[in-house]
Amino acid sequence: MAAHKIAHATLKGPNVVKEICIGITLGILAGSVWKMHHWNEQKKTRAFYDMLEKGEISVIAAEE
Amino acid sequence: MIEVFLEWRFLTIAPCDAAEPWQLGSQDAATPIMQGIIDLHHDIFFFLILIFVFVSRMLVRALWHFHEQKNPIPQRIVHGTTIEIIRTIFPSIIPMFIAIPSFALLYSMDEVVVDPAITIKAIGHQWYRSYEYSDYNSSDEQSLTFDSYTIPEDDPELGQSRLLEVDNRVVVPAKTHLRMIVTPADVPHSWAVPSSGVKCDAVPGRSNQTSILVQREGVYYGQCSEIRGTNHAFTIVVEAVPLKDYGSRVSNQFILQTN
Repeated sequence: MAAHKIAHATLKGPNVVKEICIGITLGILAGSVWKMHHWNEQKKTRAFYDMLEKGEISVIAAEE
Repeated sequence: MIEVFLEWRFLTIAPCDAAEPWQLGSQDAATPIMQGIIDLHHDIFFFLILIFVFVSRMLVRALWHFHEQKNPIPQRIVHGTTIEIIRTIFPSIIPMFIAIPSFALLYSMDEVVVDPAITIKAIGHQWYRSYEYSDYNSSDEQSLTFDSYTIPEDDPELGQSRLLEVDNRVVVPAKTHLRMIVTPADVPHSWAVPSSGVKCDAVPGRSNQTSILVQREGVYYGQCSEIRGTNHAFTIVVEAVPLKDYGSRVSNQFILQTN
């Protein structure tokens, strides 16, 4: 009879959709940092080969 | 700033075309195939990071929300149809994005160059390599052949890499289509040069073919990649020289060899 007076902890669960959205957003942000590094590497490689083609740099050691 | 930190912490850029101590990433690409392999790896790594961050976030948040002391009574969720459908379909789309560039690279690696400028035969022995240049002889002459031994550990000169140098390097012209024919004389071997993106198995009774286009001059190191005995990890050293110097370098090499 006194059961209704007993207080018990109820779980107010997290908003699943919100957590998933935040997780995906963070994942995409982290992936974007990696992608920017990748594009930067590609740009450096392309610039290296362009300079090599034009003769601005050389990978051959000069004869002594 | 983040990129600089990440590079310092996680990524080691190899400054030369040989393995470096504590190296984490690939060697610098010397051929279009290797550049394609590196680009594919970067494409896949994007998805890897996305999934890792997402799953880690969900795990940490689940541990946070369902902490025993804060939430002693767990929810009794048995199933949820919508989320089950989403979590099945969405991950199956990701491999499709990975497969497209992967297959494109795979089939382009198998493309056979119709008319390579030079053909070199690499023959694996226990425990050295021999190379044949057969383009320069008529049918009744012997091919230009030389052996390539790894310089022993106690015998290197100053500046040479330990157990990576050889006495006779394979000299090839840069910016020229090459065909390598790989075969063994005894047991299985494998002709591998990481910076060229080449790994070609030498199977007894068979000749395997691979095409290479070295984009820049340099010296590229590799090691045998099929275990076959006590001195297994002997090395392969490819020296790419300008086309105008190729003829004189090869003929000098054979003169030294015959002497």
